[in-house]
Amino acid sequence: MKLKVLYFGMIAEAVNCKEEEISLQPGSTVEQLSNLLISKYEKLNDLSFNIAVNKEILNQNIPINSNSEIALLPPFAGG
Amino acid sequence: MEKRKTVFVEGSISSNFIASSIEKHQTKTTIGAHNFFLGQVRADQIEGKIVQAIDYSAYQEMAEDKFYEIQEATLTKFDLTSLHIYHSIGKVEVGEICLFVLVSAAHRRVTFDALEYLVDTIKKEVPIFGKEIFEDETHTWKVNN
Repeated sequence: MKLKVLYFGMIAEAVNCKEEEISLQPGSTVEQLSNLLISKYEKLNDLSFNIAVNKEILNQNIPINSNSEIALLPPFAGG
Repeated sequence: MEKRKTVFVEGSISSNFIASSIEKHQTKTTIGAHNFFLGQVRADQIEGKIVQAIDYSAYQEMAEDKFYEIQEATLTKFDLTSLHIYHSIGKVEVGEICLFVLVSAAHRRVTFDALEYLVDTIKKEVPIFGKEIFEDETHTWKVNN
């Protein structure tokens, strides 16, 4: 399945991209996606981030539905 | 579905904007207390360099969902007449205002508790990112405590 992945803040800077499409095995979990992205972008190893699926930060073991919008979110800095 | 208010303001939040937001409540005569919080961009010194501005960005759709959830949760939890949240997006210079939270109620006590809850929750849960820009155009990324 193909997923739209969005990158923000220091994460977008580290991967040098704001948005891309990633192919993933159907039924893959958030953790598996995270591992795939870390192997693609080594710099992510050193950065702290959460993964939002359809705008919600989910448990790492939850399988991702196709057509989900994924976002890699670095630590928040509002206010 | 209830119409959502826009939270994001391009650039800094002006004192005129703040004054007129408060003034708009004059017709709501059940209100006896307003309380507000203003976040101001601080000239932090980081590794010998001084912050000149913060460039705010956000996962805007998720941030708007979160702001809405936080507003609803606050109105359920506290007996307020109204509440308003405004946050900057884009560049805000040091000394300028980047967050304005206004709560209004019949009596004062609840406004202190509601305001603290709102500001803490906004800082913790809303996906807003801040690029701290130094004088020499280099930058670092702000992280909330």
